[in-house]
Amino acid sequence: MSQLRLLNTSLFLLITFIIQESLIARINFPWHGFSLYLAALLAMLAFEDRTGSLIFGFIGGLFLDLAPSAQTPFGQWALALTFIGYLFSVNRETIGDFTDRPVAFVTFISLASALAMFSFLVLGVLLGQENGGFANNFGIILANSIWTFFITPIFLPLIMRIRRFLLSSRDLI
Amino acid sequence: MARGGSDRSRLLLVLLLVSSLFLITLDLRGVNLAGGLRSATQTVLSPVENLFAKVFSPVGNFFGDAKNLGKSRKKIEELTTEVDKLTAQAAINEDIAGQLNQLKGVLDLAGRGGYKVVAAKVINRGSNSTFKQTITIDAGSSSGIEKNMTVISEAGLVGVVKSVTSNTAIVLLMSDPTFKIGVRIAGTQSVGVVSGQGGDSYLLQLLDTTGEIKKGDVLIARGSDNNRPFVPGVPVGVVNTVQSNASSITQNADVDGITNLDKIGVVAVVITAPAEAARESLYPKPAPVVTVFVTPTPTPSPTTKK
Repeated sequence: MSQLRLLNTSLFLLITFIIQESLIARINFPWHGFSLYLAALLAMLAFEDRTGSLIFGFIGGLFLDLAPSAQTPFGQWALALTFIGYLFSVNRETIGDFTDRPVAFVTFISLASALAMFSFLVLGVLLGQENGGFANNFGIILANSIWTFFITPIFLPLIMRIRRFLLSSRDLI
Repeated sequence: MARGGSDRSRLLLVLLLVSSLFLITLDLRGVNLAGGLRSATQTVLSPVENLFAKVFSPVGNFFGDAKNLGKSRKKIEELTTEVDKLTAQAAINEDIAGQLNQLKGVLDLAGRGGYKVVAAKVINRGSNSTFKQTITIDAGSSSGIEKNMTVISEAGLVGVVKSVTSNTAIVLLMSDPTFKIGVRIAGTQSVGVVSGQGGDSYLLQLLDTTGEIKKGDVLIARGSDNNRPFVPGVPVGVVNTVQSNASSITQNADVDGITNLDKIGVVAVVITAPAEAARESLYPKPAPVVTVFVTPTPTPSPTTKK
């Protein structure tokens, strides 16, 4: 992976993170909320190679750790998303079956975002954090998955276009 | 990784996991890495948040301005534009009036409690990926706001300041499941703890086993040492349903929050509380009933004449 690709993809993730924190977060969804950033990151991870899944999972997690409203230790999201990146990298062939079918891919992104949030919560429990009751957290994860399922198809083509734009000539071959 | 994973990928995975764990360990051991980075992020984000707040709060303004672009049109189009402009202005006025009303209410509550407050506008909400219910306000340390200060609205408690930058502050809302506050029932003085449940409803656990709770009881903040994080006397909620559970040691009740956290636009951060606690004085008391006592005066009898 070239340094330029690492830089421009990180920049794209940072911009998505800023949009998430300053625009999407202010939308008052009828039931909990939606993380555009998580959906975009997972959609990108699904198309990366083994190394890319790990690296961008880690970098994407570091950006999430920067969220000003977070009360968790810095690095917790990085650890959770490195784990998700690892799962993506070892199941590369299986994920390839989903990416060709839009509905299956959106479902996959929704489930992956739920798994990412669940991993983050489990890590929080292991680190002794108090994150509220099971029902509330289950509601947050479920709501995020539902919103991801319905909203992701709107911006997914744009994400794919941007990703293709960010690829170097060597990556495109 | 065993299935086709290279040594390089395995090494990378270990490196990234160790890096993450290293960062977490640093944070947990008190190295203020996260605080500094998050404050820096908040400082960077605040102009963007302010921009989006200005653009998306009065939506009518945005569309009104867009319609005003064509000025050299026919008369009817000018009039239509004028009507649209006035409609947009009315919407802005309504928005400003709403904010003004909330501000008036907040200052009124602060005045009754004798609190010195800093008013602020809500410019953002926390992302759901943090699992925390927060808002961002447009006033920070430059306005005298510090961590662990009470935040109130026109109706009552909103939350507590969790982190501060020079121009913004993050407020943990009282609906957050980790939020707990000591309260008293306004009438009976029984004490208890109100906890956030992640929604509009709250849980009251009465500490006094002999105390009574009934629907409609008003809950008032008890206050903390040195008024941090809670100043006393701020209305917190109203009891909605009393839970009847014979096996429970404590008496519980479902409580409706006194503040609608979905609709707050203006809040006030309590900088200093009065030396004497406000107690129940902030909650509107029922109008006094006038009672007239009539005492018959004895009529002077002729025999008493001198």
